[in-house]
Amino acid sequence: MSRPLKSVVVVGRDAAAWIAAYGLRFAFARTGLEVTLVELPSLLSPVDAFAALPTLSGLHRLLNIPEDQLLKASGGLPTMGQRYANWSGGKAPFIHAYDTQPVGVNNVDLVQYWVKARGEGMGVEFDDFSLGAAMAKAGRMAPDVDLAAEFSRPAHGYQLDAGRYVDFIRARALRAGVVHCPSSQVRVTALGDRITSVTLDDGTALQADLFVDASGSDALLLGQLPGGDFESWADLYPCDRLMAASGPALSPLPAFAHIAAFRSGWIGLYPLRERTALVAAFDSKDLSDTDMLQRLTVLTGLKLEGEAVCAPMTPGMRRGWIGNCVGVGEAAVCVEPLDAVPLHLIQTSVSHLITQFPVDADDLAEARLYSASLAAHGRNIRDFQLAHYRLNQRRDEPFWDGARDGPVPEGLAHKFALFRARGETAIYDDETFQASNWTSILLGHGLVPGDYDPRVEMLSPEEQIRQMQGMLGFIAGEVKGLPTLDEHLNARPSSIGSALFG
Amino acid sequence: MDKPLRVVIVGGGTSGWMTAAALTGTLKPNICRVRLIESDEIGIVGVGEATLPQMREYNEAIGIIEPEMMARTNGTFKLAIQFRDWGFKGSEYYHPFGKHGQPLGGIGFHHHWLRARQAGRAYDLEDFSYAVVASRRQKFEFPVSDLKAINSTYSYAYHFDASLYAKYLRGFSEQRGAVRTEGRVVDVTLDPLSGDVASVTMDSGEVITGDLFIDCSGFRALLIGKALNSPFESWNKWLPCDRAWAVPCDRSPDFTPYTRSTAREAGWQWRIPLQHRTGNGYVFSSGFIEEDKARETLMANLDGAAQQDPRLLRFEAGRRTASWTRNCVAIGLASGFLEPLESTSIYLVQAAVMALLRFFPRQKIDPVLVAEFNRRVDNEYDRIRDFLILHYHLNTRDDAEIWRYCRNMSVPDSLAEKIEMFRHRGHLPAYKDGLFSPASWLSVLHGQGLVPRGYERLADNLEFDDLVHRMDELHGKIDARVDAMPSHDAFIRDYCPSPEAVPLERAGAVA
Amino acid sequence: MRTTIRDIVIVGGGTAGWMAAAALSKVMGTQRYTITLVESDQIGTVGVGEATIPPITLFNGVLGLDENEFMRETNATIKLGIEFQNWRRPGHSYMHPFGMMGAEFSGIGFTNHWLRWVKAGGDPDNLRFSAEAQAALAGKFGRTTDGNPNLPKINYAFHFDASLYAAYLRRFAVARGVTRLEGKVVDVTLGAEDGYIDSITLEDGRVIRGDLFLDCSGFRGLLIEQALGVGYEDWSRYLPVNRAVAMPCARVEDPVPLTRAIAREAGWQWRIPLQHRTGNGYVYCDAWLEPDRAAELLIERLDGEAQAPPNHLRFVTGRRKSCWEKNCLSLGLASGFLEPLESTSIHLIQVVISKLLALFPKNGFEPLLIARFNREIERDFTYIRDFIIAHYKTTDREDTPFWAYVKHMEIPDSLTDKLESFRRRGEVQAENFELFKEPNWFYVLYGQGLVPDDYHPVADVMAEDDLKLRLAQIRSAIVQRVQGLPTHQAFLEKNCSGA
Repeated sequence: MSRPLKSVVVVGRDAAAWIAAYGLRFAFARTGLEVTLVELPSLLSPVDAFAALPTLSGLHRLLNIPEDQLLKASGGLPTMGQRYANWSGGKAPFIHAYDTQPVGVNNVDLVQYWVKARGEGMGVEFDDFSLGAAMAKAGRMAPDVDLAAEFSRPAHGYQLDAGRYVDFIRARALRAGVVHCPSSQVRVTALGDRITSVTLDDGTALQADLFVDASGSDALLLGQLPGGDFESWADLYPCDRLMAASGPALSPLPAFAHIAAFRSGWIGLYPLRERTALVAAFDSKDLSDTDMLQRLTVLTGLKLEGEAVCAPMTPGMRRGWIGNCVGVGEAAVCVEPLDAVPLHLIQTSVSHLITQFPVDADDLAEARLYSASLAAHGRNIRDFQLAHYRLNQRRDEPFWDGARDGPVPEGLAHKFALFRARGETAIYDDETFQASNWTSILLGHGLVPGDYDPRVEMLSPEEQIRQMQGMLGFIAGEVKGLPTLDEHLNARPSSIGSALFG
Repeated sequence: MDKPLRVVIVGGGTSGWMTAAALTGTLKPNICRVRLIESDEIGIVGVGEATLPQMREYNEAIGIIEPEMMARTNGTFKLAIQFRDWGFKGSEYYHPFGKHGQPLGGIGFHHHWLRARQAGRAYDLEDFSYAVVASRRQKFEFPVSDLKAINSTYSYAYHFDASLYAKYLRGFSEQRGAVRTEGRVVDVTLDPLSGDVASVTMDSGEVITGDLFIDCSGFRALLIGKALNSPFESWNKWLPCDRAWAVPCDRSPDFTPYTRSTAREAGWQWRIPLQHRTGNGYVFSSGFIEEDKARETLMANLDGAAQQDPRLLRFEAGRRTASWTRNCVAIGLASGFLEPLESTSIYLVQAAVMALLRFFPRQKIDPVLVAEFNRRVDNEYDRIRDFLILHYHLNTRDDAEIWRYCRNMSVPDSLAEKIEMFRHRGHLPAYKDGLFSPASWLSVLHGQGLVPRGYERLADNLEFDDLVHRMDELHGKIDARVDAMPSHDAFIRDYCPSPEAVPLERAGAVA
Repeated sequence: MRTTIRDIVIVGGGTAGWMAAAALSKVMGTQRYTITLVESDQIGTVGVGEATIPPITLFNGVLGLDENEFMRETNATIKLGIEFQNWRRPGHSYMHPFGMMGAEFSGIGFTNHWLRWVKAGGDPDNLRFSAEAQAALAGKFGRTTDGNPNLPKINYAFHFDASLYAAYLRRFAVARGVTRLEGKVVDVTLGAEDGYIDSITLEDGRVIRGDLFLDCSGFRGLLIEQALGVGYEDWSRYLPVNRAVAMPCARVEDPVPLTRAIAREAGWQWRIPLQHRTGNGYVYCDAWLEPDRAAELLIERLDGEAQAPPNHLRFVTGRRKSCWEKNCLSLGLASGFLEPLESTSIHLIQVVISKLLALFPKNGFEPLLIARFNREIERDFTYIRDFIIAHYKTTDREDTPFWAYVKHMEIPDSLTDKLESFRRRGEVQAENFELFKEPNWFYVLYGQGLVPDDYHPVADVMAEDDLKLRLAQIRSAIVQRVQGLPTHQAFLEKNCSGA
């Protein structure tokens, strides 16, 4: 018979480490799982923040974390999407809202009707047909009731103060019984592809049935195991350096994050309740840290508060699970902080680990499932990020010309070609971003389909105009009635996320 | 102003008319003109066809009225497929159109069931499937849309006479402007420059030109195969059956709202109940049994008098590597063949037709649309292939050579991994596109006799007493609700009686 | 109401279409505007060896093209001027080089000083004071980017393969987001109320709508003429040539950096050296020469083996009465035709494009703006026309009916005045906006044998020894400049060797 796992040692720092430790402890404490966190010194700075996709609520539901408590504790805000500005020459900014578009008209996606109407001279942008984008533009937030039209179902993501979010999870983890061992470093002892122990500063050697590597891109555990080689994506991404900083809170609070391209990269503004987090991704060959800092002030128009910090960025991935060691977050897949994905990757890997938690300490067959799925997720997310760069229309700036002309992975090339031809999206297995997300950014960056689904013609031109005007009217009406984000926050919070394991 | 695309469909039958109906039903005449060539001389394969629930989407998309369609095709309802003697002789299980139980605490029900089983509570998994319980009692009614209700947890499909369905769709298509040309295609002419199909020549001498050709000529694959030589990938080594005898027989009182598939010594036998008779067939491998012997086996295993001499069909499992080649799209048997073990034939036609609508070309055929069409169609075939192989491979029968062969053959890696993960921890495959759902995989993996060693550990979080209580409650709810359902026969008599229907009271005078 | 301009539709590929697409995509971008170019592979473009004039470098510069790459991609050679053979009389030859003649001093044109000096017995070869001419005669070329202010610049243009240039610009434009559609236009739909173009329909039924249309469909003027009917101003009474036959031949020598225009019995023959072959053509009037005979004569006179069958073209010299009508502009041959004697075809495309960019409509089509645009284009066409007519009118030849006709034909008053002015004081009094300036007129008219009676009185003020010294300095700078240049062939091999 199988031998259930009794102990897990998580080695790492910050969000990945605490979410993994808390997640595992919370899910399996009743079945007797001991979770020890070897915490390495934090790399978070007070200016750091996380952007999160709506799917984060899934993990939080699993971990029984009520949204209002979380937002309060982490100084966070709900957000309807991301606004991309200056990526495309003279084109107006667009909002990638987190809507899904469940059904079209007569089984044909809305975008197909839009392509036809646009060809006939309609000037309305596609994101005007998104309820979520309209809410974002108007700075409105829906109370907890599901607000949805047939053609657009909004969802909200989050912006969170990174340090306070980790503190919040840490407190819960410690309460839940995670054993906490700080150490400035660890020494890994392995036999073949199995870690036998990790040794702390004080010489303590910890053994476990399973080790979790949450040490970020250093991959202190996975990197030392056979098969843990790093597949670098540095030649795909044009940026190699990140800067984080902070400015004063915006008023009124926007219901979106703002991602603006500039000559040598992009700058993200992530509104939080009490401050505004700033992130810049840039090419260090183009720009020194000092120059970046100066541009950050000028381009955002914000007076920076606190210190700005810089770090190199090393996009790429390695096998997610080797022997008895599982990588979560950047230890397995490391991408840019674009599209709110870094926290998403932590959440995805921890959720996968929980649902695919090994049933037998002597046969960790789950490793194959986990590694394959995480790798596919990682590659698909990478392609989504690359789409922004490859589709940019900033001409005659070496950084952006290079970003546009960079290599396009095969799957992404097919997506581009198919969308260009017919406005259709090829969605593969293990995609974080679905057709509505892809449609939003591809159109937003100016990839306009040359043709549309001929079934669209079944709707008479008059009827199509009537329906589209109906949608725009519906959106305008709905949005008007919603509270502003500030009003929403001041109202009594409702409880979202009910306990699954009471 | 607009110049419609001239679509020529070569071959009628179910696939030809399904294509014609979809094109004329969802595209305006200025987009495409449909001409369908068929010959009354060439019979179509239609001895009672079983379908999948997805078919209702097709019918809805083109505007078919269900009771009318069923009455005209002698249709009956289908909630499941029953598999007899598959995993081992004497076994019986159902692959229902529906879930087993409800997830508890975010965890698939079967993990809880496994846990209970390991704790010594030997619940029958199938007792928790509403569709299975209704099938066993030969009941039917429509599922409700209230997702909290227990009778919302299943779906249904049809059994019908495929040739009548084709006839029904023909009327539908002709009303919407499809033009039918009677006759046989004797020659196909390719454009010497482009290599595209330029025209087909009829036995009457008429030359029919077109912009897009749909090859629905069945196994003959007149265009895609003979004319364009699109390669065929054989899956015979995994799916050795290559023949079938088919015969209709008189209706029997055993009026199942499900298809029955009974494993035999060199293949399997289908049984499909219609309103006026029952369709039967024996799918076998000529490498493991003589044709005559197979015929005898079939005739000896009918539950009503045979209505005609059995017909023999020959085929090879596999598919074209490119169903859409140049300006020719193969749909139906011309594009590939998978035995009807999971009633996927019409589904595959439907999937190809729907993809064709989505990627319907303008005057110039864009290669990227062709690539995406082929990617989707290939994916459908590949997924079903693995699922079918599973039935053959996962058996413990030792009474016939074919079962030993299939048990020992090496299967595609994609399937081997699925089996291994289920064995290891009850893990079910879940993927984006194509058949089958995790619930379907569960019913067959479990039905074929594979018992997982472990289950998701999260399931242990539920108090065991609470679990037992919830399972008992669920079982009781299903039991009570199914009791209140009308019988399959009564439901059909009320909803969609065919003028040809043979009353059940008069059925069963078994010869 | 036509208030927003978003969708730009270019009808016709070829040089005009792709130059427009490239410039618009570069300057206006393809994000706020969509640019669609419709071309049909069935309709051949008139893509012969093409000679250009120096402003082309500005156009390429706006696009940001790498000049070496451009030359490599189009099999280009350098052009420093045009050599006119037999124009004044059979056996006579003169050159119209690019650039200034000499250098300006004492506030008056160099030609005045030079005329004084010639009248006093100086060498009457005016080419001695043109760096471009001296380089061309020596078969040399190099880019004068050394910045030495004491040495003269070498102005240059190119000979290139026009269809390769179109293909090169097509890659440029498509990479910048221009959509290329393949198809033949079969119908044009006009707005019922205002008669503006709403859309065009392709043979396969596709309907392409647009806010602004550029007609680059060639002589036919598919939009500007066939749909909008603006009318054509016929100039054939001044410029009677109405046909051309073109034919490439094998290269027999290192390409010379000169276009050659050789007067023939009923017109003239061009010779344009490219890197890989030589373009030739005979422009003539069919009233005096049968097309078959013209082709025969051309073949006889090729200096290398013919590389393709003769390609016959027909045209009527003149211009479209409105270059811009409603929401449609015409470019290239659709806007008018002037024989390529002074290599102005591509330049006229460039002029329309730059004016369009300068006056680009934003919120609708303003009649005042369009009127101004049309006025300026008309002016540009007309002045170039006059310059070309001057080549014919000033001939000494009367040896064939063609030459007898052109020598005695009536000419526009504007040209009569110029010739008169030149005869009297050596200047045509060209306006500032004219493409061809005083030196250009001087090279041609002097070459044709017109010797001015007098020159500007200021030229007499300078002491004679000062004048001699000045001329000697200029002459020595030119010699020094030309000595320092590599041969044209070496330049091509080093920088831009094509296929």
